[in-house]
Amino acid sequence: MISVEEYVALLRDELALPVTEDDLGRSLDTVDTWDSVHLLTLCTLLERQTGRPLPFARVLEAPSLAAVYELATAS
Amino acid sequence: MIGLPPAAEWPSVRGLLADLPDEALPRAGRFLARLDPADVLAAHPATPLVSLYVTGHGTLAALRPALAVELARHGLLAGITLADFDAWVRDLADPASDLYTTLGKADGPAFALAVLDPEIVAAELPPPWRAGDAARVLDAKIELVERLAATFAATARGATLVLNTLPLPRELTAQLLDRRERAALGAAWREANARLLRLDHPEVAVVDLDPLLAEGVRARDPRQSVYAKAHLTDDLLAAYAREVAHLARQAAGPAKKVLVLDLDETVWGGVLGEVGPEGVEVAEGYRGEAFTRFQRVVRQLGSQGVLVAAVSKNDPEPVAAVLRDHPGMTLRAGDFVQVRANWRPKHDNLAELAGDLDLAADSFVFADDSPFERGLVRRELPGVAVVDLTGEPALHVAALLRDGWFDVPRLTSDDLARPARYREEDARRGFLESFDSLEGYLAELGTEVRLAPAAPAQLDRVSQITLRTNQFNLTTRRLSPAEVRDLAGDPDAWVLAISSADRFGDHGLVGAVLLRRDGAVLRVENFLLSCRVFGRGIEHAVLGAVLEHARGSAAREVRAAYRRTARNGRVAGFYPEAGFATVHADEAGAEFRHDLTRPPEPVPHIRLSADFGGQQP
Repeated sequence: MISVEEYVALLRDELALPVTEDDLGRSLDTVDTWDSVHLLTLCTLLERQTGRPLPFARVLEAPSLAAVYELATAS
Repeated sequence: MIGLPPAAEWPSVRGLLADLPDEALPRAGRFLARLDPADVLAAHPATPLVSLYVTGHGTLAALRPALAVELARHGLLAGITLADFDAWVRDLADPASDLYTTLGKADGPAFALAVLDPEIVAAELPPPWRAGDAARVLDAKIELVERLAATFAATARGATLVLNTLPLPRELTAQLLDRRERAALGAAWREANARLLRLDHPEVAVVDLDPLLAEGVRARDPRQSVYAKAHLTDDLLAAYAREVAHLARQAAGPAKKVLVLDLDETVWGGVLGEVGPEGVEVAEGYRGEAFTRFQRVVRQLGSQGVLVAAVSKNDPEPVAAVLRDHPGMTLRAGDFVQVRANWRPKHDNLAELAGDLDLAADSFVFADDSPFERGLVRRELPGVAVVDLTGEPALHVAALLRDGWFDVPRLTSDDLARPARYREEDARRGFLESFDSLEGYLAELGTEVRLAPAAPAQLDRVSQITLRTNQFNLTTRRLSPAEVRDLAGDPDAWVLAISSADRFGDHGLVGAVLLRRDGAVLRVENFLLSCRVFGRGIEHAVLGAVLEHARGSAAREVRAAYRRTARNGRVAGFYPEAGFATVHADEAGAEFRHDLTRPPEPVPHIRLSADFGGQQP
């Protein structure tokens, strides 16, 4: 499991994205400095941190960082 | 590295990265990739910029942070242009393409990275396919690459095209059920890779991915490949980026020419000053074999034009004895252009070596197992490349070869003749002490010293120190464990243990002071310190604590003796330098006294805690 705070910390400190919790719900193309390749790295980092596989195809279709978080924490 | 470094701080980035383990580099790369090279150049116009045009078949965006960090490790700024997805054929075939336009505008070294992945073959296999189909696709691809390489060589003058071999995925081989056919696919695949490796244009470099894969790097992640068209893993792209950085460094210069080696625990096992020339570990035993393997690799580098030198904190005679007489040594004196065994700071030795060889220190690579020595060289001579050796000699070879320091596009006859030429000019210099320039470094080192009666569990180690320490051993009286225990139980004697630690770690018990009360006189019967830590002021701080303690007690004076041996000449002046007067001196040694009227000189960079166990001298 990963908390929302840890998720934001991972985005900021590991992925080098200058985001806050408020940005999670935004459409990805409006997130500052966002690039689709970040999604691939984010998948790798999330799998490493949570120790469980992510549904890649669903993540690649995720409209927002919040949606990625939900996929990473869905039971 | 925490967070995004401002462009103005670029010059400090290389040093920060040197302290990071490999697994922390991808993260640093993601931050560095957000730095705009134009901002760095505006703040530091002299920064060497290497232009990299990245093209290929799949998604390669992960190369941007990987290249940024791997080039930054060498002080190089990566100016990266990422081509459109799957544009590599068009980019390389059309002399008017973005690739050639971008490289043509580059100021400084320029590279086109055409990253090839197994999908360029797999995607073109007809359904269903057999080994013969794969061989035909491979042939066609390699012919295409050969034509593109020729176009590149004719079009992009001065730039370099970087290609790579294709990893062979098991997902392909395992689709062929017939054993001979599966083998045929394997053979055709390797033949294609061999043709790539044999491409012979000076403008083309081929990164062989096989050795990287053999280190355990995973080549592909099916999900990333299927869903995101990222056909090579981030890990493999990172390893590839490291190889590209080596090519970039060769192009940007200056070339590395000299390998400077520490000796104790680097070339051989053990501390020569403690175990003597016969006692060093080499050739025999588990560790000895590991050191021999390292020596063979050093010799292998030397045979290809690398100048090998040694800089060691040791007396010159025993070092010469090992190099000359030890039957297990692979490296001999003749393999070194210079052997500098003395007690002065290593950076001073490196600077003088550079002067002697008439080379810049920037052309040096320095390998040492001591974080103290490495840190000092990094700080004093930032141009020197520093190889981090550890306490595990079996890893020395990998550490030495990790960054391809001496790789060249082509070895010349001049390269091969270089070591012999320099050896002829060999001149060994003396070994005076001068630690002045060290003060700033020592202040940063945060050395903590504890002086306290040796605990029962430490008495064997104290005995070992008296038995093995030869250089910083004022009287060289060897004491068995039983003799040390007797002393510790003697109400008129002190067995004080010296322990030290600094920001590089805890050194544990590094020395001992043996005191005896003799009426109103406090005698320093012996003073010992491991040669791994002397020259850092620990000895002066400890002696100061002894004097301070005597001043606060009933003692009227402190007496101390020096007994000369073949190995302890450098400490003959230890007591007079600390304010002792000479009572008498001759060939065999000297006796000194301190009248305790003046306080000892403080040693500001050391935090010392002293405990004399409640006994009053």
